[in-house]
Amino acid sequence: MSRMTFQQAVVAAIHREMVRDRNVFVMGEDIGKFGGPLRSNAGLWDAFGAEGRVIDVPISESTFVGAGVGAAMQGKRPVVDLMFLEFLALVMQQFLDAGAMHYYSGGSQSVPLVVRAKFGVGPFHGHAYDHHSWLANMPGVKIVAPSNPADAHGLMVSAIRDNNPVLFLEHMALYHAGKAEVDPEAGEVVPLGKAAVARTGSDVTLVASGLMVKRALAAATTLQESGFSVEVVDLRTISPLDEATILASVRKTGRLVVLSEAIGRGSSVNDVIALAADRAFTALKAPIRKIAAPDIPTPFARELEKEYLPSEDLIVQTVRNLLHPA
Amino acid sequence: MSRSNRTLLELYELMMLTRTLDEVLGKHDGHWHGLEGEEAMIAGIYHGLRKSDVVAPHYRGAVSAALAKGADLRTIMAGCLGRSTSYHAGRHRSDICGPPEYGLIGLYAGSLGPPLGYAAGGALASKLDRRDDVAVGVFGDGTSSRGDCHEAMNMAAVLNLPMVFVCQNNQIAISTELKAGVGGRIVDRGPATGMPGVRVDGNDVLAVKDAMDEAVARARTGGGPTLIECQSYRVAGHFYSDAEDYRDPHEIERWREKDPVTRFRRLLVEQGVETADLLARTDARIGKDVQGAFDAALQDPVPDPRGLDPGSVYAEAAP
Ligand SMILES: Cc1ncc(C[n+]2csc(CCOP(=O)(O)OP(=O)(O)O)c2C)c(N)n1
Repeated sequence: MSRMTFQQAVVAAIHREMVRDRNVFVMGEDIGKFGGPLRSNAGLWDAFGAEGRVIDVPISESTFVGAGVGAAMQGKRPVVDLMFLEFLALVMQQFLDAGAMHYYSGGSQSVPLVVRAKFGVGPFHGHAYDHHSWLANMPGVKIVAPSNPADAHGLMVSAIRDNNPVLFLEHMALYHAGKAEVDPEAGEVVPLGKAAVARTGSDVTLVASGLMVKRALAAATTLQESGFSVEVVDLRTISPLDEATILASVRKTGRLVVLSEAIGRGSSVNDVIALAADRAFTALKAPIRKIAAPDIPTPFARELEKEYLPSEDLIVQTVRNLLHPA
Repeated sequence: MSRSNRTLLELYELMMLTRTLDEVLGKHDGHWHGLEGEEAMIAGIYHGLRKSDVVAPHYRGAVSAALAKGADLRTIMAGCLGRSTSYHAGRHRSDICGPPEYGLIGLYAGSLGPPLGYAAGGALASKLDRRDDVAVGVFGDGTSSRGDCHEAMNMAAVLNLPMVFVCQNNQIAISTELKAGVGGRIVDRGPATGMPGVRVDGNDVLAVKDAMDEAVARARTGGGPTLIECQSYRVAGHFYSDAEDYRDPHEIERWREKDPVTRFRRLLVEQGVETADLLARTDARIGKDVQGAFDAALQDPVPDPRGLDPGSVYAEAAP
């Protein structure tokens, strides 16, 4: 065990897999000697640069993610750093194609590709947009959004070993925000497609991912003081969705609040709502609530940005109103 | 080309303004993208354009572009500080995005490259309207690797658009040196896509200005697009608080000695355009103006957080 930040945990996972499998390589802008913006690839150059497995590329997103797809088709296992999620729009076609390849090839082709992207309102003022939901609409693409260093490590190991294109989300407010215990050589790693019950409770289920898990847990602690028992489900993987864990929790508590850092319209959490309405309807004791950013682009001024993100207070208020309607 | 004293002094002021922005905004925000070393390119490119010309500036220099096009300094400062008095009402940042009411196209979702396509659209609109306004699309050497850049140049040539492409080549993109980011010479892409390509010393403001004037005149008179590659060096860090452990400090020092502001100041004095004393007074006035605008903007109100109204993302129907 050692104590690591989210950023260190992700890099440690990549390091581990690069040692384990020579087909793993990393590629992106400024990831070599520079180590990547916000140290996203720190140390990999020293360890693997000489072997040519740390590749700096020009500012050509469509093509370097495309090259990641193409190399994966040949059996390589690229871990491509997109730098910021804002640039996802530039590589949508590549994800669309990569997600379809296994199915359309009759099962003969797989695309073991990881694309990493930083996002989120955080200390780094800018590049905050969270547009991962676009990919929830793409069959064959997986989406992973860890909320803590240990999961970031385990999920990255699993993502690299997975035979499908994976978008790996790295929240900038979690990135350097404190260390936690990580077992970098853990035999068992966090599987993709498996949510975690981050806190057990009996009155209401909060479903979240990434930074929203942190806020949900903080809200749950506050609500506990008023005697409310809150269960928090950390999705960890957004696609495919762990339906069993979500349904079990909702059937137990009878109430559901979903959290989204992205705008509510077209958000991936809407599928969680649809799932509960469809398959746990009779267990519901109250309307399902969604807490999401308003349907506007992420604003710049700190005051607006703060108001834009669902806050711990808003979560607490929403849950209170649900449990004790005024 | 011989230039009036007035033009020469305007160019100097735009260079000095650019330098001063660095000092004032860089001190305030460690993420400010420094401009040192690139003042001649920035002044030479943006000086003398019409308000009705469309400009998609490179983000490094976007504030100077907006000011050169007539935007108000204090309002721009408010936009760098996220104040409600800014052109963007605090919703967006003025350091990378100028006001569209002055013909500015900035970065909206942050991706480098797409603004070159929007600039081509500005040129297309001018052509459709049979106006003689032009569009100027500026990009860094790093940005030149984006498909958008190649595509915009090719399309502008094919459609014979009134457009000027300018590469603000500072030989680096974050930590990626020119040779690691760009295969071949950027200037050669002009002829490769069917337009003239010109390469100039980006530390010589008059060379940049001459090339711009010629290209703008060609575009205004139906002669189609031009590519200008300005060669310079990013003396500044990628952003103001950049540790820059990836670069040879001696190389930076060698380029700092070629400082374009010092060079142009010397030329103005030698040619008797202005005395050193008067130029020093100009410097002091600009310093006071910029600091004053910044300090005033700091006192401006912040946006009301209750104003996050989804209704405001859609434009009203035409009356
Ligand atoms: C499409 C895209 N990829 C990556 C980035 C991140 N980024 C911001 S500035 C920069 C370097 C740009 O280099 P260049 O065009 O040479 O401009 P310079 O910074 O040297 O002025 C990069 C890669 C971005 N904003 N957009």
